[in-house]
Amino acid sequence: MNEYLNIFFVILRRDLTLAFRNKSEFINPLMFFVIIIILFPLAFGSDSALLKQLTSGIIWISALLATCLSLEAIFRSDFEDGSIEQLTLARYPLTLLVSAKVTAHWLTFGLPLIIVALLTGLVLSVPSQTMLALLITLLLGTPVLSLIGAITVALTIGLRGGMLLSLLILPLYMPVLIFSMLAVQNATVGQSIAAEIYFLSGILVLAITLAPITTAAALRIRLS
Amino acid sequence: MSLYKKCHRWFHQFASPKYFYDISHIISKYAIVVCIICFIAGLYGGLILAPADYQQGDSFRIMYVHVPAAWMALFVYVVMAVAGGIGLIWHIKLAEIVARNSAPIGASFTFLALVSGAIWGKPMWGAYWVWDARLTSFLILFFLYLGYIALQSAFEDRRVAARAGAILALVGIVNIPIIHYSVEWWSTLHQGSIISQIDKPTVHMSMLIPLIFMVLAFKTFYVTSLLIRVRTEILEYESNTSWVKQLLRDYKNVTN
Amino acid sequence: MSIFNIKNLQCIRRDNILFQGLNFDLEQGGLLQIDGVNGSGKSSLLQMCVGLIQASEGSINWNGVNIKESRYQFQSDMTYFGHSNGVKAELTARENMKVMHALSGDKSDIDYSSILKQIGLAGLEDVLLSRMSAGQKRRVGLSRIFMTQSKLWLLDEPFNALDKNGKKIIEQLIVKHCTAGGMVIFATHQTMEIDGYPLQHIHLGNET
Repeated sequence: MNEYLNIFFVILRRDLTLAFRNKSEFINPLMFFVIIIILFPLAFGSDSALLKQLTSGIIWISALLATCLSLEAIFRSDFEDGSIEQLTLARYPLTLLVSAKVTAHWLTFGLPLIIVALLTGLVLSVPSQTMLALLITLLLGTPVLSLIGAITVALTIGLRGGMLLSLLILPLYMPVLIFSMLAVQNATVGQSIAAEIYFLSGILVLAITLAPITTAAALRIRLS
Repeated sequence: MSLYKKCHRWFHQFASPKYFYDISHIISKYAIVVCIICFIAGLYGGLILAPADYQQGDSFRIMYVHVPAAWMALFVYVVMAVAGGIGLIWHIKLAEIVARNSAPIGASFTFLALVSGAIWGKPMWGAYWVWDARLTSFLILFFLYLGYIALQSAFEDRRVAARAGAILALVGIVNIPIIHYSVEWWSTLHQGSIISQIDKPTVHMSMLIPLIFMVLAFKTFYVTSLLIRVRTEILEYESNTSWVKQLLRDYKNVTN
Repeated sequence: MSIFNIKNLQCIRRDNILFQGLNFDLEQGGLLQIDGVNGSGKSSLLQMCVGLIQASEGSINWNGVNIKESRYQFQSDMTYFGHSNGVKAELTARENMKVMHALSGDKSDIDYSSILKQIGLAGLEDVLLSRMSAGQKRRVGLSRIFMTQSKLWLLDEPFNALDKNGKKIIEQLIVKHCTAGGMVIFATHQTMEIDGYPLQHIHLGNET
């Protein structure tokens, strides 16, 4: 068990080191996230009542689009330099190594994204109970985005075009978006958000259990 | 010989391309006949014999296309995922071929269901499209099909493509119930369920029987078109084997 | 007794049969060279032997067990070095070696500096690989065979991008490994200088 934990952290540290040495890879999606958020007021005008209603939705949609851009980074460089073959052929279960890589992706993308979302929410003066719901849903939702995203990236990495990835992934993201927005809307009108939180947690648990196994299988197929 | 072994042997015989090529020819012949009969009977019953609906008038008749198409859209997706899974686990070529060739047919059914639904929606709700749960989840289903097809065409090696597609289809099938319920709760919160009365289970028999015929017609149509596609692909796949070469020689002799 | 054997192997890539009916056995101390023209399936054969690609027909056995059935047992007994180096350009030589060592499952303490010295990269422990030449990167990648206890090595074009000296180091290492009872399968066009160690050959492709 200890051995497995150890290898998990070796891969986690490796991916975190890589992310920090290659800063553009993880800063660019965050910049993209902020830019999309800025586009919405430009498109809808500065009517603050309307914007207030839309802000949390805008933040979530921007998060989804930014995720699409950031996902490829999980496996792209490993695929190009042959590291992925070495991970597949290592002594340890590929599922474990993949989990470490997805964790690293969430730490370098999901977590900073939540912080940026918090700041944007403050700047756009989102009411506090809405902000709280938004943060909780992002906290539960972004790991799901990374986990499900990893499956699709594993299937499509190295194939022509990043468009394919977005086409495959966005339909699968819809439940997360829907439950999150339901929670945010309930919170805004002062209702309980427990049901949506339970559902998001359920989806998260399901994704944590099944997604790494599926990703490992997908990688094996992609390499063959 | 134990029953398991018998089943196993039968299964492998059935899944062998040559055997399937021969037997599917017979199946598809019968299926097309059943399809044509049911189609004519269903259309006649639905468009002429069945009385007009007291609420919707004649516009309800589009149901005879819409409902079977919608059912088939879901059914074909399940077939695709299950066949893909079988191909993935037991490496059965035939299952891979069935999964891949189901996708375009399923996508067409989904498209048909969406379009006929929109045409039906215009007189019913005064708009071609409303953000209702069923419509939205069917639109997502359509995108799942398109994603599957796009993934298939992105691979060079067919067997790898089939296995990658199987993974995607299986992920999709886990997601479809989640998508469906999330969309349902999302829309019930936004707007009243306008179309729930369409799903009234109490449909009159004279309307129901043609519907059953149409469902049968759609199903046999799927079987026929699937088999035609599968047979073509088996020939492509097995073009190096002796039985296909023999088949081609025989065909040439006949045409000469 | 043969430890690694291949029975009736067939390889189909993009609907073309690259080779079929391939058999070989490898015993303790066995050294096997795969050669053939470009596109004859050398890399595919090696990738099949490690389980990356699945054979359309035939079986590959390790200690009498199909490698599909005992994947992790087999993977802990073998080391694969492919066409690409499998090292990260943004990590230093030492960091790369640490990861490779951890993944191999070997738990003994390893002196990374002395290995680097052996492969002619003395003093480059903390240099990023992006600052190194292609040959130096290749050497860092090859350092994985110094850090493993595995019996079977599968090397795909190990001498690519290596100079004469580098090639010699690897040749000596291969012979040493085989003399100690290990096994090596490698694909290369180049002639090996291995001082009369018995070398088996597999030739892929149609030309004679």
